Amino acid sequence: MLPALDISTSALVAQRIRLDAVSSNLANLNSLERDASGNMQPYQSRYVIFQTDEALETKQGAVGVKVASVQTEQIEPLYRWQPSHPYAIKDGPKKGYVAYPNVNMTAEMVDALVATRAYEANIGAMELSKNMAQQSLRILG
Amino acid sequence: MLSGLFNSTTIPALGEVLNFAQARHTVLAGNIANVNTPGYRLRDLSQTEFQQRLKEAITASRTSAQAVSPGLAYSEPGDPMRQVRSSLENLVYHDNTNIDLEKQVAEMTKNHLLHNFALTVMTDQFQLLQSAISERV
Repeated sequence: MLPALDISTSALVAQRIRLDAVSSNLANLNSLERDASGNMQPYQSRYVIFQTDEALETKQGAVGVKVASVQTEQIEPLYRWQPSHPYAIKDGPKKGYVAYPNVNMTAEMVDALVATRAYEANIGAMELSKNMAQQSLRILG
Repeated sequence: MLSGLFNSTTIPALGEVLNFAQARHTVLAGNIANVNTPGYRLRDLSQTEFQQRLKEAITASRTSAQAVSPGLAYSEPGDPMRQVRSSLENLVYHDNTNIDLEKQVAEMTKNHLLHNFALTVMTDQFQLLQSAISERV
């Protein structure tokens, strides 16, 4: 019973981290962030990569899940024509445009729904594990 | 003496069923945990294969007066008991997984019921032994 509880807990943690990434993306729909060279760039979406967690593998082949890494997207930002904006591009083909984050709100909301559904399914699995362990105590009479 | 006491009941066989139900529950929980992991394929423990082994063990225990030995639910990777039933197979999605959440939850519920059923029968057997020992019904 105890490995099943650990495996379900690993899934709860992983889905919550994924929901954190979605919340971050939705909160930063219009923000800028500082990149490696110190310039202000439009915010890029974060996404998580799931992986099976060998550390939680049981002898019967059941395996847990972990977040392998949190990656940053590298997609083209949205450009808006705002020549008097302090962060407008000074020269080049995009002169006078301001770069905004290109976060796909629909995809993020769907991601949040899937993460919630998976979270609930794992809570259900944990309830069953608890029930099985408690029932086993009934052998004692 | 104690082993002789239990071998005449169905307690060892039920114990094996309980072990199998608990091991299968862990595998199914692992499936539900990995519902969003790319590349993860369904894992399961085959009930028909386990029933076959249990039947053979019970027959052997009757003929050779030996107990149904523990460890029937144990399997190595590559064991035929680790195959997935074809009715549980699903189409492969774009992220290379094939898990159907509803079927997994249904399998888990059925497995849970099997576990509790075996537990109830086992408890009854122990109650019978207890009433025989205490000579009180």
